[in-house]
Amino acid sequence: MNREEAVQAEEETDPGVTATSLVNDDNPPGLPITQAAYIPGQAFDEMYEAAGEVRDHYSAVHTRLTTLSPEALADRQKTLERSFLLQGITFTVYGAETTTEQIIPTDLVPRIIPSTEWDHIEAGLIQRLRALNMFLDDIYGEQQILMDGIVPRELVLGAPSYRREMQHLYVPHKAYANVCGSDLIRGEDGAFAVLEDNLRVPSGVSYMLANRDAAKRTFPGTFRAANVRPVERYPDLLLKTLKSMAPDWRPDPQVVVLTPGVYNSAYYEHAYLARLMGAPLVEGRDLVVHENMVYMRTTTGLRRVDVIYRRVDDDFIDPLTFRRDSGLGVAGLFNAYRAGNVVMCNAPGTGVADDKAVYAYVPEIIKYYLGEDAILPNIETFLCREPAQLSHVLANLDKLVVKAVGASGGYGMLVGPHASRKERETFAEALKADPANYIAQPTIQLSTAPCLIDGRIEPRHVDLRPFILSGEKIVVTPGALTRVALRRGSLVVNSSQGGGSKDTWILADDGIEEPQP
Amino acid sequence: MMLARVADSLYWIGRYLERAEHFSRLADVMLNATLDRSDAAAQTAYIALSAVGDPDMARAARTYEAAKSLVLDRDDPNSVVISLSLARENARQVRDQITTETWERLNLLYLRITSDNAASAFESGSSAYIHDIIADLHQFKGAADATMSHGEGWRFLMLGAYLERAQLIARLLEVCFGDGRDGNVTDRIALMSLLRMGCALEPYLRRYTAEIEPRHILEFLVFDEEFPRSIRFATTRIEEHLVGVSRHVESGGLATPERLAGRLKARLQYADVDELESVGASALLATVIGECARIHDAIFDTFVAYSLEMKLPA
Repeated sequence: MNREEAVQAEEETDPGVTATSLVNDDNPPGLPITQAAYIPGQAFDEMYEAAGEVRDHYSAVHTRLTTLSPEALADRQKTLERSFLLQGITFTVYGAETTTEQIIPTDLVPRIIPSTEWDHIEAGLIQRLRALNMFLDDIYGEQQILMDGIVPRELVLGAPSYRREMQHLYVPHKAYANVCGSDLIRGEDGAFAVLEDNLRVPSGVSYMLANRDAAKRTFPGTFRAANVRPVERYPDLLLKTLKSMAPDWRPDPQVVVLTPGVYNSAYYEHAYLARLMGAPLVEGRDLVVHENMVYMRTTTGLRRVDVIYRRVDDDFIDPLTFRRDSGLGVAGLFNAYRAGNVVMCNAPGTGVADDKAVYAYVPEIIKYYLGEDAILPNIETFLCREPAQLSHVLANLDKLVVKAVGASGGYGMLVGPHASRKERETFAEALKADPANYIAQPTIQLSTAPCLIDGRIEPRHVDLRPFILSGEKIVVTPGALTRVALRRGSLVVNSSQGGGSKDTWILADDGIEEPQP
Repeated sequence: MMLARVADSLYWIGRYLERAEHFSRLADVMLNATLDRSDAAAQTAYIALSAVGDPDMARAARTYEAAKSLVLDRDDPNSVVISLSLARENARQVRDQITTETWERLNLLYLRITSDNAASAFESGSSAYIHDIIADLHQFKGAADATMSHGEGWRFLMLGAYLERAQLIARLLEVCFGDGRDGNVTDRIALMSLLRMGCALEPYLRRYTAEIEPRHILEFLVFDEEFPRSIRFATTRIEEHLVGVSRHVESGGLATPERLAGRLKARLQYADVDELESVGASALLATVIGECARIHDAIFDTFVAYSLEMKLPA
């Protein structure tokens, strides 16, 4: 039996499939998906239309789910989790007695996006990143946009993520944010909007790849029939992007991945990308700067480094330029960068463009540099630094989501409708004390997608994080990380707050060309 | 060319896994000996614990507890669980350098021995439990051999393993046949246990038949050219792998680790068991342990912690 047949056989001999379950309309007991259990609620549901019809692009997966028994699904979920554990896609929990490894919760039901919708998203992401790179080039250069009063000067120059040191530095291709992961959400009307941009050191791409790997093994037949666009080129697209940042006179540039080390929660991803790119995974202590050149310590002596894909925050990359107490960085690295002898990706200081307050201006930024309307809209945002908007926010705290400008990862935020009166009052005090530090947005009912929860298929809120690479060109990988708020009703998808992830299938149109670097 | 830190980690993975395997075997032989006459059991346990560096007669009398703690005690720096945890920690730091097949073997082993039910699994079948650990370690070696490039990184892995092995076997023999120690081992069952600790019983029987003599054991475990756990075999591999990794180093003509390894190899090549019998085994075994320690330091100084001034471009 060849592999193809083996895959087929596996699908057909599945114990969950019985003749009756295929024809019986009366929700046979034990089936994991029933209309009764799956109540989409007011949010847009990825699988069901409002009238309860299954959307066309979900029909194959839906059929598969209705024909698999809860036991069969649970088995597959277990296999999936075990494979993640074995691969070491884990984070470590340090207890009093023992340390244990835990996987980030992963849901086996794929999230599916049809090609026309993806085309729209892709165009929007490319437009957005192009504009944000131009914005960064401008504010670290002539600052025309500030002089024209499009974005308030103090908002940009006063942001903690603004790096004076980057002023007038040459950045190849003006590509400041080489790797960008933007968070998109789908509101009640079903339209995608950008919730935030991540231009610093966005993570999660290894989950996109690992989830895909798992989905292929979990639903092989359905996957093959669905005509899903591949995500597997991400590592080599990333490598090409990084190499395109090296100067021309370095013909075979040495690329390395800089990690804070094995205790970092994203360490698995750093090692994974290094392995798939074939680039050394280095820590700060492996690098040496000598006469403004960066070298890594190898067994055979020092070897010159040209491009550093750094997964260390700005603050920690160079104790001589940024935080002095950092042991993760490399002394003198920033001067080597300034001298043009090494390239850091992403460039330091990109965080100012994903600042939560600057975010509110992104549609104007796009308009200013490109003369176009934003393809992907923003979420309506209130800047608490403006007195009028602050009083609106204070009056409507029970309806809004309030976020601290400098925080991320779902920390320092208030989800008004889910908070108690006391929590809102405490937060209001913090808000009044430092209004410039906060923004507010309406509470959006994120769209829901089917997830396997305790043996049943139930709707859970999801977002979408695609990954955009920019070097000589801007390329979007046809895939994304779909993050899931696994707690019923929760709108917070961050993994630090009980979130999980699932594979995202971007369906292909016939004759589509996969992006080339 | 590889990162110095990576070479160091691979070297330590080799060392820790060899140690884990050896100590698993010691624990297994100790447990097995409890099935026989009680004085042989105590003697076997004493040999094993002395080889680990803990020659405590009181502890040796409680063989089962001693074996269990040698495998599972996290407070004992020599225990198998500690060696495996350290090997896995090192592997995680060089995850990009080892193949997935290799990593998964080690990770599985680690997850099993650190899981909450490790103690109860040991109690419900200690011999089978240890047997599985050793089998998994063999799988790791098989996966490494079959899937990793046999280049520089692999050589560092092997260097760690063979240096550790030479030292462990030398230490074991020193405990049994070193002079000036009271009661060199002569008991037949204890001698068989010794061969089992070196994983050498079956190859020994094929070579020398069932006549188990200290002289033959020494000859086999020190000088045999083909048995992979003999000291001579290990030192030959150490020299081979050092020649392999040194090819790429433009050192200042010193080549210290290579020179040390060559000398040790020659020492074992041109000595024989008669010499050992006439002057006693202690001197040679002490030389092996001491020279391995010097090679270990020299490897670190040459490949990992070299002084930067020597290597900076002019």
